[in-house]
Amino acid sequence: MGLLATLAEGAATSSAEAVLFWVFATIALGSAVAVVALRNVVHAALMLVVNLLSIAALYLGLQSSFLSIVQVIVYAGAIVVLFLFVIMLLGIDRDDLLGTRTPLRAVVAVVAGVALAGAFLTVVGADSLTAASACGELATEGSADAVACAGLDDVSDDSVGFVGMQLFTRWTFAFEASALLLVVATLGALVLGRRRDPALEEELEPSGPVPTEDDLADARQLIGTDADDLATADVRPEQDATATLDGAADRDLSDTAEDRPAGTTFDVADPGDTGRDA
Amino acid sequence: MPIGYYFAISALLFATGLTGVLLRRNVIVLFMCVELMLNAVNLTFAAAARQWGGADGQVFVFFVIVVAAAEVVVGLALIVNVFFRRGTLDVDAPSLLRR
Repeated sequence: MGLLATLAEGAATSSAEAVLFWVFATIALGSAVAVVALRNVVHAALMLVVNLLSIAALYLGLQSSFLSIVQVIVYAGAIVVLFLFVIMLLGIDRDDLLGTRTPLRAVVAVVAGVALAGAFLTVVGADSLTAASACGELATEGSADAVACAGLDDVSDDSVGFVGMQLFTRWTFAFEASALLLVVATLGALVLGRRRDPALEEELEPSGPVPTEDDLADARQLIGTDADDLATADVRPEQDATATLDGAADRDLSDTAEDRPAGTTFDVADPGDTGRDA
Repeated sequence: MPIGYYFAISALLFATGLTGVLLRRNVIVLFMCVELMLNAVNLTFAAAARQWGGADGQVFVFFVIVVAAAEVVVGLALIVNVFFRRGTLDVDAPSLLRR
């Protein structure tokens, strides 16, 4: 934190901020174009990291060391890692999925982007590029009495403390709501990420066919166990300890899927189940 | 630096992200381009906070980052699901509602 504060302090001088801005703005723009243009998804993700880090550097130039830290930790450290994880999980860093749209639509997309950029830049206007800014320029000149803007010196002195104070006083409700949002997102990801095997679901379907002896044999083979293993398997406390797996061999096959509680897997290796049936 | 430069670079970054969303077909790259746009907006917030001295801009950036994290988590889970069901990441592929 001290190092960052020192860096932010150094960046407060006008020329240093200018150098910081031009270097990292160039890197940010170039890496953004690379994210859009590169055909390899992994390369695009790495370019996104470069882009996010350069924006973190721009935050530093804006005296927002807290945002700079959060940007590095959350974006570069968590979000892009998640991207890379999914890319590698799906194994889609090949080129066949990465084509662009048809040439006409590509041209339309680029034209739309350029038009939007032109519109934005028109709104920003040339005046704001040349005119001395109200607070920022005065503040970066270093004259203490020139810092007339409310809270600016506080922000410059201690970004973390200032933002934290605001966050836990004025924006407490939003902060709590964001915590709730994160919990909901985590639960959503859990629900969505559950891997469902279509074949297994078919078997679990209550209206589905009753498993035959062949199915049971297949299932035993699938889970790599046999009757002997089942005999030594962990049994439930209420299970009769004398229950043998003889019962499993001639288990009651009239036991239909309806008898099982919904959602349980069809598990022939469950010793408790076999013992009850025997 | 006058704040206009930060706004200009934000505008260019946002336009680049939008071009990517319109241009690319891979849904993961689309997501990355959305992140680019979010970051452009964040930069605008931070520059404005610096310019006018309030902490609100920085607090908003914080919340945008939180929401972006939540969005990425859910979105990537959706992408994984779509990929396992459809076998592709082409955004034009899931068109079940159109038939």
